[in-house]
Amino acid sequence: MENHTREIEAVMSWASDIARSSASSMTRVDQVNGSSGQAHNEDKVNVLLVDDRADKLLALQAVLKDLNQNIVTARSGKEALRHLLSTEFAVILLDVSMPGMDGFETASLIRQRPATEHTPIIFVTSMNQSENSITRGYELGAVDYILSPIVPKVLKSKVSVFVELYRRTEQIKLQAEKLRRLEEQALKYQLSQAVDRLEAETKRNRFFTLAVNMLAIADFDGYMLQLNPSWERTLGYSEAELRERSGLDLVCPEDRPAMEAEMQKLRAGTASGYFEGRYRCKDGAIRWLGWTAAPFPAEKLIYIFARDITNEKAAEEEIKGLNVQLNRQVQQLTDTNKELEAFCYSISHDLRAPLRAMRGFSQALIADHTPQLDETGRHYLDRIAHSAKYMDSMLHDLLEYSRLTLCELPVGEIDLEKELGEVMRGLENEIGSKAASVDIQFSATRVVAHPATLRQVFWNLMTNALKFVPADRSPRIKVTSEALAEGVRICVSDNGMGIPEEHRDRVFNLFERLHRDPSYPGTGVGLAMVRRAIERMNGSVGVVSSADQGCQFWVELPSK
Amino acid sequence: MNKPLIIQVEDDPNDVFLFDRAFKKSGIAADLKAFVDGEDLISFLTTQSSSGGAPPSLILLDIKLPRKSGFEVLQWVRAHPVFRRLPVVMLTSSAQPHDVRRAYDTGANGYLVKPMDIDEMTRLLTAVHGFWLVANISATGTDVPHLTPSTGNSPSI
Repeated sequence: MENHTREIEAVMSWASDIARSSASSMTRVDQVNGSSGQAHNEDKVNVLLVDDRADKLLALQAVLKDLNQNIVTARSGKEALRHLLSTEFAVILLDVSMPGMDGFETASLIRQRPATEHTPIIFVTSMNQSENSITRGYELGAVDYILSPIVPKVLKSKVSVFVELYRRTEQIKLQAEKLRRLEEQALKYQLSQAVDRLEAETKRNRFFTLAVNMLAIADFDGYMLQLNPSWERTLGYSEAELRERSGLDLVCPEDRPAMEAEMQKLRAGTASGYFEGRYRCKDGAIRWLGWTAAPFPAEKLIYIFARDITNEKAAEEEIKGLNVQLNRQVQQLTDTNKELEAFCYSISHDLRAPLRAMRGFSQALIADHTPQLDETGRHYLDRIAHSAKYMDSMLHDLLEYSRLTLCELPVGEIDLEKELGEVMRGLENEIGSKAASVDIQFSATRVVAHPATLRQVFWNLMTNALKFVPADRSPRIKVTSEALAEGVRICVSDNGMGIPEEHRDRVFNLFERLHRDPSYPGTGVGLAMVRRAIERMNGSVGVVSSADQGCQFWVELPSK
Repeated sequence: MNKPLIIQVEDDPNDVFLFDRAFKKSGIAADLKAFVDGEDLISFLTTQSSSGGAPPSLILLDIKLPRKSGFEVLQWVRAHPVFRRLPVVMLTSSAQPHDVRRAYDTGANGYLVKPMDIDEMTRLLTAVHGFWLVANISATGTDVPHLTPSTGNSPSI
């Protein structure tokens, strides 16, 4: 009775394993039940011997020892099932006649569990019951049988066949696994490649679509096979309309021969340089496209990159027009300058001669014919002579003034003290005769100017400061200089009669005079020359004054 | 003995008259002869050289002249085998720096601007006479063979 219960337990445990199905892989040999007392060895396969009789098990073990495999023994079907739960076996030698669960029942249970469904079973049966057993054994999926008493040689050879078979199978399994892994790797690689390609293509397509410029792939006849939306935007044709005609048909007739030649080059496989041409849009407007293209003769494809350069072309034309205009103006200016030079030549050579004659003859008249002239007559002749001389001075100053305009004035770094010193030497007599004082205080001395022209400026400012002083005063002149952020400011201050506010802007004009009094002679060119000279040397000039407070002329010149 | 000759090339009759008057006033011991243009002067000098007559002592040359300019006349003189060392002083209205430079570049010996005053004209002519005809030693007509400039180690100017 107790025996029966244990059998049921084993069967129950077996059944639950069947239910769990083969999903969980079989535990390996290393966890083999220690009860068999046999050491596990990786290279060895497991052989299960099942017999209720210990002597028979011993005998089987002895026979199979030579095979040098792991032998596991079980004394009952139940024990056998327990082993099978934890260990994988190459072959099972199963005694048919066992008390309780016999060999057939055991085999039947073994077969029901997927993990052991195909484990080879060799039945061990006695000769007398052989016929019946063999038939049933085969029905239960036995692969072989052995009749007892056992012939060791037969047993050994049969078991070794299964050991070998198991080994081969394991090997094949391993190889299959290896192969599967390799295939999996290859597939994974292909997959990642495909994903990368797809990503790149997606990105490229995004650029293709987003590009402001026109991108296209065309065939050798100029038909666009793939094109981005910029073409539609630029030329006004729909994508379908653009696809159904050769790109050459859109080119304006005047540019077509050049375009054909370019296509010919591309068909020959020559990468095109930059090419420009006019295209007719759907609305009839003409737009300039500039493009480069690369041919792929193997595929008979041309990759095109084009840009709308209509605005650039228009700007270019405009610049060309402006240049022509500029050149014309420069020419006009050159002509004007030449005329001005001729005018100056004429003034210096021709206009002064009659004045000299007027003055000369009126003087000769006074000198040679005094007796025939009365006081009034001599006075008139004096006036003629004086006017002629005055006009000659005006012509002289006008020439000097225009020379400042026409001449090249190469500037360089110069020393203020040195230049003013030279002017002071020239004015020594005048300063002495007028008992004038000149105070020079320079805190900056380097300016960039044309030396002779700067001396002329100093000369004009200093002679003005000496001249325009009331007769009862001695001139007191102060010349200072100070460094500015980007230059030098020079001031010439005097204690003269000053310039009333309302005249301040006019004093720099040509032939502008504030005093007609003969004690202040002049032609009104001096300050005009100062302004022209300073402006031509990239400086500026001005005056600060109030009537009878003297005035302060300032000049700013660059120091670099 | 003939007085030394000063030649004035001047197309403006007013100037000719006023200078002649000033010359007379100055009492200079020389003759002043005026030519109205450069071609007149050239034909006079040409005749003078072929007839073996005495060359003038000084030429006062205006720049603005009809047909040949003063510079062209000066060039002719400087190229002439006999007159090339003749003192030539420009006497002109223009004080323009480019006229002055060009005159010296062409070989003028001096440059004077016509004065506005008749008294100054007299003073100027007296000074010219004192310098060019009295003080100055000129090489006119001395007929020294023209020295070939050395091509050797003369320092560059």
